Amino acid sequence: MTRPPVDAALLEMEPAAPYPAPEHPAPGHPAPEPPAAAGWRASVGPLLAFGGFEVGRLLRSWKFLAITIGFPVIFYLLFLGDHTAGRIIGGTVPWRVYLMVSMCSFGALVAALNAGGTRLSMERASGWARQLRVTPIPAWSYVGTKIVASMLVVLPVILLVEVVGAGFGGVRLAAPVWLGVTLLSWATALPFAVLGVFIGFLVSTEAAFPVVTGLMFVLGYLGGLFTPVSLMPGPLQVIAHILPSYHVDALAVAVIDGRMLAPADWLVLGGYVVALGLAIVWKHRVEEARGIA
Amino acid sequence: MAVCASGSPSQLSILLEVPSRPAPPVNPSPVALSFRDVTHRYGQRTALDRLDLVVRQGEVVALLGPNGAGKSTTISVLLGLIRPQEGRVEVLGSDPRRAVADGRVGAMLQSGSGVGLPPGVRVDQALRLVRRLYRRPAAFDWIVERADIGGLLRRRTDKLSGGQAQRVRFAISIAGDPEVVFLDEPTSAMDVESRHGFWRMMRAFGDEGRTVLVATHHLAEADQIADRVIVLNHGRVAADGPGATLKAAVATRRLRFVTDQADQQVLSELEGVTEVAICGTGVSIDSLDADATIRDLVGRGVRFRDLEITGAGLEQAFVALTGCGVARPPAEAKAGAEGGTR
Repeated sequence: MTRPPVDAALLEMEPAAPYPAPEHPAPGHPAPEPPAAAGWRASVGPLLAFGGFEVGRLLRSWKFLAITIGFPVIFYLLFLGDHTAGRIIGGTVPWRVYLMVSMCSFGALVAALNAGGTRLSMERASGWARQLRVTPIPAWSYVGTKIVASMLVVLPVILLVEVVGAGFGGVRLAAPVWLGVTLLSWATALPFAVLGVFIGFLVSTEAAFPVVTGLMFVLGYLGGLFTPVSLMPGPLQVIAHILPSYHVDALAVAVIDGRMLAPADWLVLGGYVVALGLAIVWKHRVEEARGIA
Repeated sequence: MAVCASGSPSQLSILLEVPSRPAPPVNPSPVALSFRDVTHRYGQRTALDRLDLVVRQGEVVALLGPNGAGKSTTISVLLGLIRPQEGRVEVLGSDPRRAVADGRVGAMLQSGSGVGLPPGVRVDQALRLVRRLYRRPAAFDWIVERADIGGLLRRRTDKLSGGQAQRVRFAISIAGDPEVVFLDEPTSAMDVESRHGFWRMMRAFGDEGRTVLVATHHLAEADQIADRVIVLNHGRVAADGPGATLKAAVATRRLRFVTDQADQQVLSELEGVTEVAICGTGVSIDSLDADATIRDLVGRGVRFRDLEITGAGLEQAFVALTGCGVARPPAEAKAGAEGGTR
């Protein structure tokens, strides 16, 4: 059986064209043996390639960038002037700081939902997701890579909001607090990243955009990212407490305030991650049984 | 050469000349794909009905059959996307999922609403990604040459015509240097010209000793490239043999009639239908099961007159394809000419 030449360096970046002409071995030429137990590079290499590909696609999409960068930054600047600068939230946190932290969370929410959501739904409808499933990468790696890629694009959005907060909002924090806010906003984006992927799995391409946009504002507003929950009418406060965005915000404010991070908040967020993760697995199983996975 | 067939007697009577299998070759090549007594149901609907099938390495096999015959399910099972409820399936001597995980299998599946390629990237980027998912990918230039996509590499995947996108998808399916390739309706988005080019490409691929299994509803073209044609109907093998023998045996009937309700969508969904051509009020339908088609036609309340049933030769079917008012499946009509853009 004739085989084309095989690249030796698997992880090497491809040089740009032109390529040297490949040599085709004569018929009957034995197939090269696979590298014996190539170790972690063999299994991790493809996933790194896939992850890099996904992040690259997101960062090249002007639509994605416009939404994820535009919304939190514009809202920060908008609401910054809308309230009196000296207003105090929850005792010790100035509004401009509270708003920056909230917009970090909102930016993470927007980026994570949009990275999955519509894009994933379209990919699944078009058959690309299915095409990847017939390559050697394991079935879970599609979902896994999507979530990791979402998390990776969340970080620059958070940093950008912080730069805007420091530059335009005059936010001054101690270095450990900056670090804490950044890491916390980043880590707490995980439920939203999983939610984005779940929406991509659950919802048709036509419905995905309105669902993502709706969730962005429902989670953002009712979670208290625009207006502190304590200023909301009673019934809305009840709803707020079951939303992940409220608990994200609560943790972030606690970091600013130098308070203890409440385990209850972590528990709720962890619960969302687990529940949504199981929902994705369930949806996948259902599709597999019906032969449309 | 004998035509081997199994299935219900109503199908057999018209297919079978000699009911025995051909004598096995002296030195048969190893088995590439095997189905043993495989049954799979989606709820009440039986997609595969105790399917038995063996394909040897190096064979180029066309899998024919009307919509719903089980072609796509067969391919999904061979790729491990579906685990059949009963029976045993092996690909290259192992579990289908093992063969996929080892990168020994490539596939071009039916694309859904889009082109089946990741939007927002260039063709070369998509191809380089897929190569890197395999431990032993084929050389980049070899793939490009094989799939004839040299001129498309810098194009964005969402700016390709239907035929161009199919060539890129073919490139992706062979990126892992597979021993076995499955193609599900690969030419469905192509015009007649690009289809011929595509079949030649696949033929060349098979000539290297690789196993190729193509699901298609284009009888004439399948006949031209395949060593062997397998006709599926109702999830079973209705006929199996070399293309030339099947040509004489395949029970295609042509139905012609006149109707004021010539709806392409409805007509192509009728049971047994493989081709639909509409010229004004005149309709010409090719069917693998004329009786069932007519029952279905009546059942759906389509009023027709001047019904005429003839045996349809494959050449006739091909003339109909290129002739007046050929109504293609929606995907094809949308794709338009090869050179054009969407």
